[in-house]
Amino acid sequence: MSEITLLLDAIARGESRASEDLLPLIYDELRRLAAMRMAGESAGQTLQPTALVHEAWLRLVTEKGRTWRNRAHFFRAAAQAMRRILVDRARQKLSLKRGGGLEKVVIDYLDIPAATVDDRVLLVDQSLERLEQEDPESARVITLKFFGGLTNREVAKILGITERSVERQWAYAKTCLFEMIQSEM
Amino acid sequence: MTDSKQIEKALFDAALELADPATRMAFLDQTCNGNPGLRDRLERLLTVHASAEEFFSGSPMPTAGDHGGSDTSAAVAVPPGQTTASPLETTNMVIGRYRLLQRLGEGGCGVVYEAEQEQPIRRRVALKIIRLGMDTENIIARFGAERQALALMDHPNIAHVLDAGATESGRPYFVMELVQGVKITEYCNQNHLDTRQRLDLFILTCHAIQHAHQKGIIHRDIKPSNILVAAHDGVPVPKVIDFGIAKATEGTLADNTLYTACDQFIGTPAYMSPEQANLGSLDVDTRSDIYSLGVLLYELLTGRTPFDSKKLIESGMDEMRRTLLESEPQLPSTLLTTLGNTELTRIAAQHHAEPPRLISSMIGDLDWIVMKALEKDRRRRYETANGLAMDVQRYLSNEPVAARPPSSLYRFQKLVRRNKITFAAITAVTLALLIGLGVSTWLFLEERDARRRAVAAELQQIRLREESDRLRQQAEFRQKLTAATFARSREKIEEADRLVAGIPAPEPNLEYADLYRTLGDWHAANGRWKEAADRFAVLVQVSQPDDWDLTTLDYLRYGPALLESGDLGGYERFRQSAIAHFARTTNPLPAERMVKLALLMPADTHLLAVLQPLAKTAAESLATHQNHDSVAWELSLAAWRAFSMALMEYRSGNYPGAEDWCQKSLAFQKENEIRVASVRVVLAMTHYQMGRIESARSELAQARQTIENRFGKGLQTGDGFQGFWFDWVFGRILLREAISLVGNSSH
Repeated sequence: MSEITLLLDAIARGESRASEDLLPLIYDELRRLAAMRMAGESAGQTLQPTALVHEAWLRLVTEKGRTWRNRAHFFRAAAQAMRRILVDRARQKLSLKRGGGLEKVVIDYLDIPAATVDDRVLLVDQSLERLEQEDPESARVITLKFFGGLTNREVAKILGITERSVERQWAYAKTCLFEMIQSEM
Repeated sequence: MTDSKQIEKALFDAALELADPATRMAFLDQTCNGNPGLRDRLERLLTVHASAEEFFSGSPMPTAGDHGGSDTSAAVAVPPGQTTASPLETTNMVIGRYRLLQRLGEGGCGVVYEAEQEQPIRRRVALKIIRLGMDTENIIARFGAERQALALMDHPNIAHVLDAGATESGRPYFVMELVQGVKITEYCNQNHLDTRQRLDLFILTCHAIQHAHQKGIIHRDIKPSNILVAAHDGVPVPKVIDFGIAKATEGTLADNTLYTACDQFIGTPAYMSPEQANLGSLDVDTRSDIYSLGVLLYELLTGRTPFDSKKLIESGMDEMRRTLLESEPQLPSTLLTTLGNTELTRIAAQHHAEPPRLISSMIGDLDWIVMKALEKDRRRRYETANGLAMDVQRYLSNEPVAARPPSSLYRFQKLVRRNKITFAAITAVTLALLIGLGVSTWLFLEERDARRRAVAAELQQIRLREESDRLRQQAEFRQKLTAATFARSREKIEEADRLVAGIPAPEPNLEYADLYRTLGDWHAANGRWKEAADRFAVLVQVSQPDDWDLTTLDYLRYGPALLESGDLGGYERFRQSAIAHFARTTNPLPAERMVKLALLMPADTHLLAVLQPLAKTAAESLATHQNHDSVAWELSLAAWRAFSMALMEYRSGNYPGAEDWCQKSLAFQKENEIRVASVRVVLAMTHYQMGRIESARSELAQARQTIENRFGKGLQTGDGFQGFWFDWVFGRILLREAISLVGNSSH
């Protein structure tokens, strides 16, 4: 963590770096995030942490010449990348299961214990777009926590707020988003 | 973001904190008055909150922190179909391995349930769920760190903490042995326990805390609601609960809102030690618990805490800290006298006593015991919970207690100390400025080289490292000393001695002094003079500086021990510093003792000159002491003083004067064998110097018989009347000198 911090600090001092320079240093960090992100997923999950990292990384670096303003900037981008990967995977799997071409998850009644991980990923993703319009602060917390798999402490560090604030925002954001999901049914 | 969104978030957060649905509704009614839209929205959010938590927690949201500990993701299960809309844990719900049975109570910090555990054994437990808003990961990690130590505690008056984990919604919970009982203060009042019965319960509580301290666990949150009492076969038994929880939860508060919401931190400031109240101080140790025990004792005796909780909270944080750090509470007995008549009668009735009896039972010893436990300066408190219990026990058995009213000297020192902070701050700032100026000038003129600065930084690093090593080592020493004090209190002298070996002198403190005195006496009685001298070397440093009687007696231990161990150089240095310490005393007793101590060996003219004023003080006091109406004790002291004068004259070469003083000392009652023998030794040497060889031999023979006889029987500790052991060693050292002078012949 320290090396990456140093590097990101260098970035913060205005020494913009291309993504390529970052990879060797950020790899472990991403690997760890991914492992944690995947830790709760059920067995039989097709995506392995390493694969998630690689994919996230590819997405991050394909934008040529992209530079990182600071640590927060990088992690937000990483969380967004993970979101896209997870959503793509979930779509893929669901369309295989439920027979093709599904653009939107439609569930009549949300039976929470029965909802699969993929259902949840897609439901959150769909409503998150609306939340981004109405309450960007809450949307940001959802992205970092739910898709990025970051702990409260890490989110607090990245956003420069207290852990308690993260917790508060997270509790509210979850409720808001869930309320949206339900109301859209 | 719009303001209305912010308001919505704040209200949502506040409403979540309110556990009770009715209170929550009332809160919404009040805050959303005139805005039905907002109210509806909040109600909807609050209704779906629990489901939302479930929806997100069922998803791959890791709860483990950086530690990656498996404890943190402790099995959390919700029974199928459990879709309660209430964010409250409800009964019959399952948390981890526990099924909630009924709600036992609620504090600001959490809710306690009675729960049933099925695996691995079926038992009832108490499950305490900490309120949202605390950092779960940290709490559980900290608890994990202390779990092993907690497991080592095994005491009938301590409730075991069994487990910890996180609930579905991320709240930390603790599982404890289920204790039936009411809080100690309530139990005492409901059952009208008298003072003695209350003190008995208090002593049991102290022993429980002592046990925990022995295992390295500090409770940190001792208060009546954490000490539950239940009667077993008619005998009240206290149980201390919540061990390890305060440590796990404290300091994880994220911001001030919570600070006020949580009674653990603000609801009981009355029980908080000054060092806990001082937010900057991180080194809370076992003595903080001693303070809280003092508050408990105060409340058991008077029905009130030394400082009123409500007033403390209302006064605000800064004022509260100031009160706890600086204000002296009233003596328990004084407090009772200032109460109104009805209030006093009510309290007395709870104590099953008449008001005047109740007050008079507290005046004196009980007052001082309480105040010693409540000392702001933790070095002046009881060193151990056991020490406190022992003093209460001494009070109950009508023995003298260790606690004493502060001397006027001490009070003065306290005053100086208080103002010294201002003085020290000014000095520090001035110094920093001067040093800073000096250093920067020096750097500018001499050394602009960055490399040098890097070296300085490195040195600074080393210094910091050394500093932290030093602090760690100090903590280790403190722990050993506490263990030694405890061992000593159980008469395990050998164990105590092993523990203190190699530890540098700690700060002056009554109990340390007692410890080192006991150990030194023990070595001395067994003839291990090197070890005895080592212990006494520490003793003279930790002996109470404001108690000259104890201090000078301790000096009289160290001097002979040094000589017996063969450390002449050490004795020489010690007698110089001892004289310097008491050079200005006008009190004949310490003056006389220093003369005696310093003249155990021949002295040069310079030393004799320095001793002259002390000898004069002692001699003058003797002139007024010739009346034979004095009590035995005073006569005994006077007889010793005459001996010291004889020694002074002999060392000065004034032999007729020496003879005169010897005769005066012998004229007193001869109840103290060693004093008489010591006088005879000096008299023998005086006779010899005056050419009266036969008289010298005769006196010497008598003295020799007494002294050798005694040492043949083995050295006993002794007392002030029959002579302490060091009086005898003193006599023996002089005897050796006399024998080599007068000759070995005893005829």
